[in-house]
Amino acid sequence: MNWKNVLLLISIGVKSGRLTRGQRLRRYRERKVFQYLMYGGACVLGVLIGLVAGIFYTGVTDPVMKTLFYQGASYLFLSLPTLILTYSLVFTMMGQIQRMGVRASVQPPYWLPLTWGEHTLASTLANLIGVPLASLILFGSAIALVSVYLGVVPLAFFTILAMIASAFLASATTEILRILQVRFIGAVYKSAGKAAVWVRFLGSLLFLVTFYIVWFTLSSGTSIIVLIEAVAGVQQAVWFIPYIWLGLALAAFMSGLPPQTAIFSLASLLFILVLFYAAVKLNTRFGLYEPPAITVSRGAYIPKVGFLGKLGFSSLEAAVLRKDFRAFTRRRELMYIFVMPLAFILMPLMQYAGMLGMPVAPEASPLLLAWVILAPGIITGVFLGLMIIGQEGGSVWIHFSSPITARSLVRCKYVFVTVFSCIVTLACSITGILLAHPSPALVMVLLIESMLLIFALGAVSLRAGIKGADFTEVPRPRMFKQIPALINLLLCLITALAILSPLIPYAVTMMNLPFPVLLPKVAIYVAVPISAVAALVIIFVFYKMAVKNAEDFLIRAEL
Amino acid sequence: MMSVVKRYGDIVAVDHLDLDVEYGEVFGLLGPNGSGKTTIMKMILGLVKPDAGSIDVLGIKAEDDPVAVKRQVGYVPESPRLYEFLTGLEYLDFVGDIYGMNVSEKKARIEEYLEALELEGREGDMISSYSQGMKQKIALISALMHKPRLLLLDDPLSGLDPKSARIVKNLLSKLAAQGVTTIMSTHILEIAQAMCNRIAIIYEGRLLALGNMSELRQKARLPGSDLEDIFLKLTGTEDVREVVEALLK
Repeated sequence: MNWKNVLLLISIGVKSGRLTRGQRLRRYRERKVFQYLMYGGACVLGVLIGLVAGIFYTGVTDPVMKTLFYQGASYLFLSLPTLILTYSLVFTMMGQIQRMGVRASVQPPYWLPLTWGEHTLASTLANLIGVPLASLILFGSAIALVSVYLGVVPLAFFTILAMIASAFLASATTEILRILQVRFIGAVYKSAGKAAVWVRFLGSLLFLVTFYIVWFTLSSGTSIIVLIEAVAGVQQAVWFIPYIWLGLALAAFMSGLPPQTAIFSLASLLFILVLFYAAVKLNTRFGLYEPPAITVSRGAYIPKVGFLGKLGFSSLEAAVLRKDFRAFTRRRELMYIFVMPLAFILMPLMQYAGMLGMPVAPEASPLLLAWVILAPGIITGVFLGLMIIGQEGGSVWIHFSSPITARSLVRCKYVFVTVFSCIVTLACSITGILLAHPSPALVMVLLIESMLLIFALGAVSLRAGIKGADFTEVPRPRMFKQIPALINLLLCLITALAILSPLIPYAVTMMNLPFPVLLPKVAIYVAVPISAVAALVIIFVFYKMAVKNAEDFLIRAEL
Repeated sequence: MMSVVKRYGDIVAVDHLDLDVEYGEVFGLLGPNGSGKTTIMKMILGLVKPDAGSIDVLGIKAEDDPVAVKRQVGYVPESPRLYEFLTGLEYLDFVGDIYGMNVSEKKARIEEYLEALELEGREGDMISSYSQGMKQKIALISALMHKPRLLLLDDPLSGLDPKSARIVKNLLSKLAAQGVTTIMSTHILEIAQAMCNRIAIIYEGRLLALGNMSELRQKARLPGSDLEDIFLKLTGTEDVREVVEALLK
């Protein structure tokens, strides 16, 4: 193992990760201050937490309270390795998800004199850099300091070691899963044949939804306390799971059982070595594996007279619409658009089901219902509008060199954005209606308003998407420039408020505020048409602006 | 193309260029990297607006009606990025629809071209799994299938296997005989010498020489020499021996 190579590969991995997240790097060597700012901040925060906890513990005079605090801290120490393992797993997986649509390869060039062992170690360690390492520093510095006040310095030292080992364990596991995933996906494509596109689409959605459920559960405040208690309590029962051995070693150390401490520590070390060895072997075998081609059709070409043509679209517009539909179901980086609405309704659904603390009765919260009906479709519309031009990437030359007019381009893109978002709204509305059993009048108003907002904000965002399109694809597709996108979000917020303004008094009433708010109310059958007129004006103005911008865009295609 | 100028900041990409290409001509644009060939092609297509001068394409001013120009042009950029999530067949179907081809014509032409360029059997695979040469073939088919009157080809034979390259070369000659004009750029000077009726040598945005092979030889004062020697002499890059010797030290 050449450690210099490992260090060089780690620095490459870190830089590629930061480029993937959209950060610009100007020089290979950067200012250390900015590079280590997050870790420095985590350390300072950890020291502060430790200091506050320690001073609090010293100040407590009640012996019962003191024992309770000590017990709580012990629980935390015990569960930290497993918690760090879980969080590191989530964060390192998140890093892998971020790289899903990345074009630039992060594999070391296989013709360079590097071994797979060096690559695997560097990749495993580089995965940890960022949030996982910052959490380690935060928890490590906090418990190191608090242990001085509690008088458990050796335990804290052992806990920190166990935490570091847990993070490495998590990252090695992610590395193994990443390699297996590539190989498994290849095998699935091969056996799925023509259905491979749909298998990939549904598989990616399922994976992302599962990931979000785990993430929401872990990031929910009440769940974390439940998790700490559960981890500390059930560790002994599931001793046969190797991932728990570090926690068990810690428990044995705390109970003053040296033989068990030594056994579980050695077993953990062995398990880490086995995992790393497995990752190296898998990388050696499948590191350069290319998944097989996806065959979508075989046999003679049968052109179809499209349904879109019957709806009045020209062959050109229908072709662009069909192409965009295929793009969103086949390009991994665009599949997020399907996950986005799911992520938006997952939170309320998990809240209804009591997965995030106390369950909320669906009927009790009309605002939650409004969120379920309004938010997913509208947010989808805003983001689709922003990205629908930029997602063309380097292939945008096809539009530039084809005889497409600005009017046609805007028409088909706008139709795609609005139809897609309306379908999302309908699907989410059905879920909301089934859960909350709202009155037909409320559903009708919410549906009308969501359609108005989709069409209006879709036009606003499409204009911004044309003006601020970013066709950069390496290391990952950017699709839109950040500053115009932020301005657009602000504009969308103002536009939405303008459209919804006649209905705001009704929303305030639904909130059941503890203090009275007197807002002038107009009858609902007047408020909705006023809202519609406002939306129509916005649609007209921004659609015209989008066409004008598209004219400039197609003429000044100086790529 | 009359007295066309294009600047990118301080860089003059095209400097007062006058070019006249005849109908049915295979016209070669040659020049070192960064000499302005691609910019010239993009200006002809109406993708880049010249800062000065005017461009007339098939009787249409490219600036005034770029869509009308694009309808009559087939374009292959230097490194064509295709929609990799589509299959070869879907991509060609898409392009056919973009140019408003009727269904039967589209079907017949796609099948003919796929067979001629030996892509049969892989047309149903996603383009992401194609080799560079296969992608180039798809890009060429998409430029040719709607029977354009003008072909703008930026290094069209790059990555093609010898048989496909020969098919494309012969096809371009036959199309020229039918009145289709081709403007192509290439770095493979033997191809330019073999295919082009006339050649323009561009250097730093300026026209250094223009004419057929004998006119170029005259201009370079290199009788009997090939295009490579003429090109290197005119562009002032003939001192390659010194560079090689320095590298070998």
